[in-house]
Order: sequence, then structure tokens, then C-alpha cells
Amino acid sequence: MIRAHIMPLTVLLPLVGAYFILLVGSKHRSLARNVALVTTGATFAMVCFITYLVSNQGTLFYHLGGWAPPLGIELQADPITAFLLLTFAGVSFFVILFAYDILPDEINSKVITRYYALYLVLLGALLGIVLSNDFFNMYVFLEISSIAAAALVAVNGDKLAMEASIKYLVMSTLGSGTVLMGIAGLYMVTGYLNLDYLAGALPQAYASYPLTVLMTLAMLTVGIAVKAALFPLHVWLPDAHGSAPTSSSAILSGLVVKVYIAVLLKLLYRVFPLDFLTTLPLQGSLLVMATLGIFIGSIMAIRQKDIKKMLAYSTVAQIGYVFLGIGLFSEKAMTGAILHVFNHAVMKSMLFLSVGLLIKYSGKRTIADLAGLGRVYPIPMIAFSVGALSMVGIPPLSGFISKWYLGLGALEANHLPFLLVLLLSSLLNGFYYMPIVIAGFFKKETVEIQTHKVPMGAQISLIVLIGATFFFGLFSNIVVDFLAPTVQGLFEVFGGGI
Amino acid sequence: MRDIIVQVVARMMIPYLQLYGLYIILFGHNSPGGGFAGGTVIASSLILYVLAFGIDDEDLRLSGSVARVIESCGALAYVGIGLAGIFLGANFLSNKGAGFPLGIPGRFLSGGTIVLLTISIGLKVASTMITLFTNLAEKEKEEE
Amino acid sequence: MDNLFYAMAFIIFLTGFWIMLSHANLIKKIIGMNIMESAIFLFLVAIGYVKDGNAPIIAETNPGITYVNPLPSALILTGIVVSVSVTAFALGLVVRLYQHYGTVDVDEITRMRSEEL
Repeated sequence: MIRAHIMPLTVLLPLVGAYFILLVGSKHRSLARNVALVTTGATFAMVCFITYLVSNQGTLFYHLGGWAPPLGIELQADPITAFLLLTFAGVSFFVILFAYDILPDEINSKVITRYYALYLVLLGALLGIVLSNDFFNMYVFLEISSIAAAALVAVNGDKLAMEASIKYLVMSTLGSGTVLMGIAGLYMVTGYLNLDYLAGALPQAYASYPLTVLMTLAMLTVGIAVKAALFPLHVWLPDAHGSAPTSSSAILSGLVVKVYIAVLLKLLYRVFPLDFLTTLPLQGSLLVMATLGIFIGSIMAIRQKDIKKMLAYSTVAQIGYVFLGIGLFSEKAMTGAILHVFNHAVMKSMLFLSVGLLIKYSGKRTIADLAGLGRVYPIPMIAFSVGALSMVGIPPLSGFISKWYLGLGALEANHLPFLLVLLLSSLLNGFYYMPIVIAGFFKKETVEIQTHKVPMGAQISLIVLIGATFFFGLFSNIVVDFLAPTVQGLFEVFGGGI
Repeated sequence: MRDIIVQVVARMMIPYLQLYGLYIILFGHNSPGGGFAGGTVIASSLILYVLAFGIDDEDLRLSGSVARVIESCGALAYVGIGLAGIFLGANFLSNKGAGFPLGIPGRFLSGGTIVLLTISIGLKVASTMITLFTNLAEKEKEEE
Repeated sequence: MDNLFYAMAFIIFLTGFWIMLSHANLIKKIIGMNIMESAIFLFLVAIGYVKDGNAPIIAETNPGITYVNPLPSALILTGIVVSVSVTAFALGLVVRLYQHYGTVDVDEITRMRSEEL
């Protein structure tokens, strides 16, 4: 029974968990974190099962309520979807495991049950966005995720975080309003909301209403770019990610920004025919914005004194890489973009978690104060270093693999200048990450450091994330082989021309 | 700001508002309406009560913890009805396919699970609206 | 004339968009957000409208009657739920910000914060 209904159950499980926490959590505070841990763990297990099914049976479909599309809502899981699901469920499980003993100190005890509930709602919405094959359904999940994400920033009620949260909420509502207008436009010209039917009906619609289709594409792309913080629409990100509690920063920077990229992938590669896209100036603008984002994000990161702000600006730069991979319109670059979504999710959550731990124990959040902490807290500092080295793109680590594929993609698409972009930006990444790593281990500490015991859950989750960085760096071919047929499929369907 | 006219009018209107809200929820499958619209009407009647008689009157007001329990139960009931479709051998949220009787269109007992779904949505929406209102109103009160 | 609703919806949409971007007052930003969303709902209603159409409820009498498209209305209802919850959350945040800073003006808040640092 579970086998046939695995997809809706995976989305439902976190949502049910969230309401269960709200129902019982106010009386039994300690129950909330256990429920959250079990729920995210079970979701992770179910997502693993989906991946197993997808790798054995190919793409899965599910029709909610037994209504077949175009009438009903369809869920779909292909290898790319399964990989993204695995990323989202896995990282959020390890963030919760990390926060098991740490969160109660960090979050006001009045709101902690609600924090866990919001976290689970956010996870359910993320999984829903990735699985949904229906545009309006996707929009609803997008809105749930943006409200939950803004609430996760503001949850502690301190001034800076609330200001960042309202900025985030306003920007992301602008983005989602634009997206909804785009969806309405698509529905107007085609009469469908299902992605596959839309793809089938669009060429004819374009012949009849070229301007409307173009405007729709523009609105959808801009709306998603706002939410995904593509440069110059990233202004909300550094504040929101920099001022949120540790586990919120980790999941916001690692996952929430990425999910919009999953939407963009579906939009650009499954709905709009590729030969149509190549006639537009879309590719040029995506690539220019991505490049500017990479450089300006890195330069801003170098200028920061606050370490969390620095990591947030680094996210702007890393999002640039993913958009670069999407914008190159080539198979290798696409593989690189998907790999980078995963790698960045693992690396950035690892960086945010380890930094959060160090900030918590040292009480300081400027970069200079991290000096010497590596000797007192080896595991967090090693996690930070591995994440930083992987960000820079040092070979055995997973960050290298995604950059390698992006580079191959630039070669394949004959856009050689972007090789230079990749090299230069790696150098810039080195500029702001390496001094911290070196200072962390070899410099004398600037502040009095008290030794605390790092909780078990935090240690395990950091070690697993470090392991994942090495594993997917060394054995990346497993993932690439898993994704290859689908990525090829995306280019064959539309490359063949309609 | 206690005004006798407002209080009398509110006292007269609240029962009808609630009846109207219930009607909208229960006949959502046969006529325009449904859980969200009806839930909002019911919530607005309770908000009207608070506005007319003041937030300090705890006796008749729906307290925050009760509202929260109703809210969670409404959401879980929706999911439960959806899961019933799976247990009866069809897809999630299946109605006719899972063997729920559809009845005669236009009658009250028709439309299979839809009545149950609108009721659970109505509960959820009404209690959410009240929670939202009291949260905002109480924050202002704390400030004074 | 047929496209009047679409054109109006776009004008209102852009009005809301402009209010949201140009005003520093947070309450006005939230109002702009609601205007923008209403415009989208108007747009969706206009898509679903069929001339002389009735409410899409199957009545046993009169089989030849034309109905308006029910799907956009259902979408709008969902959209309204979403917009209500976003508005409520935003208002809650504004209330809390007002408690901290005594103003709802973003520029003012930024200025006060930079003085604090």
C-alpha cells in the first residue's frame, strides 16, 4: 500500500507531524523535538524508497483523488526530482539532528514547539514543490514555503531578524505575485496547468499569442529569480540568512533558495521548448546576471566582518553558479547545476551549522574572533574547513565535481569565457574562506574560550555531512549515471524541435 | 470604547451570522460557498463579539489554546479523510473511486466526502482567523 | 472591448507593484501587496468568464445552459487563502516592529538601526 502511494504520503508526513506537534506540543515540550526528529527521519527514509523505486521502475506518476490530468493534480518523480528530494529530506534531517540539543538554548522556549512545526511545514512544502507536476499546486506550496521560511527567520522575535523577515516576506510576495500572474497567463493561452499538457499546447499558443507567451515567460522567470536571489534581486538574502537562528540559516541557505531553482528547471526545460528559448535574449541575460552574481557576491563576502553575513553573501555567489549551469543550455552544465544544488546544500548547511556552534560557544560572531577555535573545538572547525575547501573547489571534495561539470558544460556550449569566470571566482572564494581556516587552526585565540562539550547529535550530523562531501566528491559517477538519462531526455525532447 | 448601540446590534446579529456561516459550510457542495467562506463568516461573528464587548471578557471568548486544538484537529481531519481514500483501495483524497456514495445531486447528503472536507476546512479556517485576530489584538493590548 | 478586463487587471497589478516598491511605509507596502493580488484574481476571473454564463452548479433543469469556467474561481479561492495568511503574518510582524522602533517606516527603521551600531 505504501509503495503505490509513496509520493503523497511523503509530502503529507511532515505536514501531519507539524499539526501533531501543535496539538500535543504545548503540553509536552520535550515531545516536540522527538516528533520532529522521527518525522524528518521517516521522511528521509521514504524519500530513499522513492529514489529506489525511481531507479528501478523509471518515472513515477500519481493522480490525486484518482483524477487524471489535465483535470486533476499530478505528482511526478523522475531521477532529477528524486535526487532533489533526497537532498532536501536528507539535509533537513541532519539539521534537525544537529539542533536536537542545541535548539532549546537558542530559541525562546515559548515558541520552540511552533518552531519545529514551522520547520516541518517548510519541509513538506519543499517536497511538494519538487514533486508537483501542476503549476498552481506548485504555487501554493511556494507560498507555504515562503511564509514558513520568513517565520523561521523571525521566530525569536529579535529586532534585526524581524526586520530581515519582513523584507524577505515583501520581496518574496512580489516574486510570487509575479509568478502567479505568469501562471494565469499560461492558463489563459493554453487552458492547462499540468506541465506536460502545457508543454504540448505551448507551440500552438505561441503561434496565436506570441506576445502573451513571451510576457508570461518573462514574469515567471523574474518572479522565480527574485525568490531564488539571483543577482541583482538578492538584496533580501544576506539580512534574512545572516540574522536567522543557526538551524534556520542552514536550511534557508541550503535548501529554500534551491527549491526555486527546481521550479525554474521544470519551467525552462520541461514546459518551454528549448529551440524557442534559444531565440530569446534569455540565455544572455541569465548568464550575465549569474556571472555578476558570482563576482559581486564573492566581493561582498570578502568585505564582511560578520561571519554569518559572509556565508550569506557566499550563497548569492553560489546561486550564480547554479544559474550559470542552467543558462548554458548544455547537458554537462545542467548536470553540473543539479550537482551543485546538492553540493551547495550540503556544504552551506555544514558551514552554517559549524559556524553557529562556534558562535554559540565563543559568544562572538566576527571573523577575527574565530581564530584558534579549531584547537578547542576540532569537529566544528574541521567541518567548517571541509566545507570551505569544497566551496573553493579542491579536488577530492564534492564542490570540485560540480565546478568541473560546469566547466565541461561551458566547453560543450562553446562559451569559453565562463571557464575564466569559474577559475577567477574559485580564487575569490579562496580569498575569503582560507584565512578563516588557517586562523582557526594555527593562530592564537583572541578571546578567552571556555570549553563546552559538543552534543552528540551535533557531532554525528557534522561528521555525516563531512562524509557526504567526501563521498560525493570521490564517487560522483554514481549520481551522474543516475541523472544522465533524464538530463539527456530533457535535451532530446526539445532539441528535436517542435 | 463600550457603546450600547454597538453591543445591542452585535447581540442581535451574532446568532444569524453564525447560522449563515454554518449554512455556507454545510451547503458548500450544492451551492456557492464552502469551508473557507463559511469559516470566515463564523470567525467574523466571534470577532464582532470581541470588538463589541472588549477582549477582556474571557467568558464567551474562544480561548487561544482551544482555538489551536480545533485548528490542528481540522487539518488532521482533512488528511484523515484523504487517507481514508487510500485505505479503501483508491488514491489519496479519492471520493467516488474509493466507494463513497455520491447520492442525488442537489440533496444535502450528496457529494461523498466533500461535506466532511468542507466541515473540517470550516473548523480550521474559523479557528485560524480567530487566533490571528486575537494574537494581533492582544499584542496591542500588551503594549499599552 | 473584450480585453478591457485583462488591461485593467494589468494596470491594477502594476499599481500594486509600484506601491510595494516605492513606499517606505510598511502598512502601505502590505496594502500594495493586497492590491497586486486582487489584480491577479481579477485577471483569473476574467479568464474564466463566459458571456451569459451561469454559476457552474449542475441543476437538473435546463440542460442547455452555459456555465462559466469553474477552475479559475477555485484557483482564486486558494489564492485568497494564501494572500490572507501572508497579510496576517506581515501585519503581525509590523505590529512587533512598531513595538520595537515606534515607527512603521522602513527608512526610519534603517536609520535608527545604523545609529545604534
